Amino acid sequence: MDAAALLTLTGLRVDRGGETVLDGLDLELRRGEVAVLLGPSGAGKSTLVLAAAGLIEVAGGAVEARGRVAAALQGAALARRSVRANVEAALGWWGVPRPERPGRATRALERCRAAHLADRAAGTLSGGEATRVHLARAVALDPDVLLLDEPFTALDPAVRGELLAEAGDLIRDARRATLVVLHDRTEAWAIADRLLVLLGGRIAADGAPAAILGAPPSEEVAAFLGFTGRLELAGGEILRLRPGQVTTVAPGEGDLDGTIEALIPEPDSAIARVATERGRLEVRVAVPGPSTGELVGLRLLGGARFEARA
Amino acid sequence: MSFVLHMLGEALDRIASGDAELLATLGRTLWLAAASAFVAALVGIPLGARAGLRAHGPVGGFRAVAANIGLGLPPVVLGIILGLLLLPGAPLGGLRWLTTMNGIWLAQVLLAAPLVAALTAAAVAQGPANLVLQARALGASPRDRLLLLLGEIRPALLAAVLAAALLGIGEVGAVIIIGGNVAGHTNTLASTVVLDLAASDTAGATAHALLLLGLVGILTWMHGRARRAAGAAA
Amino acid sequence: MSALVDGLRDGIHLVVTGDPQLYDTIGNTLSIAGRSTLIATLLGVPLGCWAALGGGRSHRWVRLVLAAGLRLPPVAVGLVLWLLMWPDSRWGGGPLAGLGWIYTTNAIVLAQTVLALPLVAALVAGGVEAVPGGLIQQARALGARPLAIAALAMREARPAVIGAILAGFGTSIAVVGAILVVGSGLSDATLATAALASWNAGGADAHAVANGLVLLALFVLVAAGATSLQHRRTAWTQLRS
Repeated sequence: MDAAALLTLTGLRVDRGGETVLDGLDLELRRGEVAVLLGPSGAGKSTLVLAAAGLIEVAGGAVEARGRVAAALQGAALARRSVRANVEAALGWWGVPRPERPGRATRALERCRAAHLADRAAGTLSGGEATRVHLARAVALDPDVLLLDEPFTALDPAVRGELLAEAGDLIRDARRATLVVLHDRTEAWAIADRLLVLLGGRIAADGAPAAILGAPPSEEVAAFLGFTGRLELAGGEILRLRPGQVTTVAPGEGDLDGTIEALIPEPDSAIARVATERGRLEVRVAVPGPSTGELVGLRLLGGARFEARA
Repeated sequence: MSFVLHMLGEALDRIASGDAELLATLGRTLWLAAASAFVAALVGIPLGARAGLRAHGPVGGFRAVAANIGLGLPPVVLGIILGLLLLPGAPLGGLRWLTTMNGIWLAQVLLAAPLVAALTAAAVAQGPANLVLQARALGASPRDRLLLLLGEIRPALLAAVLAAALLGIGEVGAVIIIGGNVAGHTNTLASTVVLDLAASDTAGATAHALLLLGLVGILTWMHGRARRAAGAAA
Repeated sequence: MSALVDGLRDGIHLVVTGDPQLYDTIGNTLSIAGRSTLIATLLGVPLGCWAALGGGRSHRWVRLVLAAGLRLPPVAVGLVLWLLMWPDSRWGGGPLAGLGWIYTTNAIVLAQTVLALPLVAALVAGGVEAVPGGLIQQARALGARPLAIAALAMREARPAVIGAILAGFGTSIAVVGAILVVGSGLSDATLATAALASWNAGGADAHAVANGLVLLALFVLVAAGATSLQHRRTAWTQLRS
């Protein structure tokens, strides 16, 4: 075990409802880092959190924690009491002596900018307010390992952006290992030191966000991370491309030509789905710009190469 | 119609004059309802909480049938079974509880406890499972979690106890079989209606029935409030 | 121990040897409870469905009245019916005196119907309310008329409806309080009242035990039927005596 590792999952296997959700998963969370776990719906992200927190039985493998693990599960489940009472109750569960609880609750609520909510009944909170209290309750415990399962879902975009901007400071603690499960890839870049991708019951990618995005370890990871273009190169290699790694030029002037099959509008531009003789890819185009059925030239600006599988 | 109105008038007179026998019967009925609901809660809430925490989805088969029988067992049947057990020489004969209020109290506890347990189990099973799991993720011990859960479903528990009291208060089958309906000793408001009619005291029967309806009305109102509070919490 | 064993043995003996009085009472019980359940079903199922589907003030009122009716003590119901049916006195008779039903089987059927009706209607209403609101809304959005909506709701809530009818029957066979009042003198009218009357007359009387045992058996059948239909674990019947 790494000297800094606070939580180690080894060969973890979890079955739920007769199906194997996690299958031989290895993961080490280290002191001081904020790791973000991404994965498609149903990949087993919440199952991983439940298993790591010791809340469900594992069918195989081991979960070893150095120190105590606390988790803020998906959905801000609060007791029908005041906000302050909710945070103090959690401190009580954690074993914090009674005299220390009010101070720690107040500090945690302040850090999560929820101090003004302290005397409100939990049932009267909006989704965003409840989420802040939910976070504060977990942060207040000051655990050695903190697991947060989709802490930003069910928020309206404005609140989400605001909380995300603060989340880095809020969550990061040099003494602690933190794992944040996120559904939305774009949120990960805002807070992650380390990116984990859960695919097929295992960690399929593990590393710095920029490194993974620069060189995804497998084609499946690339596809999940938004490398929507897929070209078969001469020599049997596969090139995966994000829309931002392609630009349009006049026909014949780029690396290859293609026909626009469909246009998917976005706020200030559109994503064009282009069919070429080597495969399909997506590229961002101006609006108004080329229309469906038009022939365009394509210049490729990178992408990730993979060996074609037999 | 004047006959009905006249009887109601006489009955109200009887109640307003504070008839001693009426008050004594009211006292016995209240004691019985409170004591049996209290003990039914002591027994039923822990049992129901255990069952509710273990239940993942509906209970099936034989156990469900048994639970349903316990919930709706005709009081006369329970009265006869308990009566046989309380006979001198039977296993509970040593208590000498036949034709006593204690015997009636035992019968009503046995009638009400399954109801309290079932309502508690349902409230626990429908209770905030996410919250309890979350509490566990934050280090709460099993005892902490049970207290949290029971605290969250407090209104439902109150409703269950009130339902138990409502169940016993108008019941006559077990009351008459176990208690014998001895005037001044083991009669309740409900069973006195039968006694008074047999003695051709229509006004007395009406007075007891009116008091009983009043009590049931108050308890039903409280029960409704508790259930609404429980519903709002769910 | 011997008192218990003797009581049970004598009771079982009567059941096994086909005691005519006991079998008369069984027949009576089934006939009376069957009639009251039938009437309570015919009135209660449409009433419960109507109350659950509507959102108007009258619907809410009916639901309130049904909820209150569930809690009526059978003895009090019996007394009210007794007052209404009493034939003659210094101040004349009750408004229903003309029926001549007091102390007859019809009075017992009426009392059981009054007790079973709110239960059947309330359980049907509960079942209909549990039908996903989206489905009803969708049917309305597709132009379904009220009758078609009701038919849809009944179909979706079928287990609850059958359970409600069984619960009405279970309640009817268990009633004693109302029968002691309006059926006074018909002490062997039903298993429940016969059990009570013969126990009171002779303690651990063989007839009391036999009647109680058969009532228990009937009740187990009804409970098993209701359980097999049950989707939700809720109290499916109210104790009535």
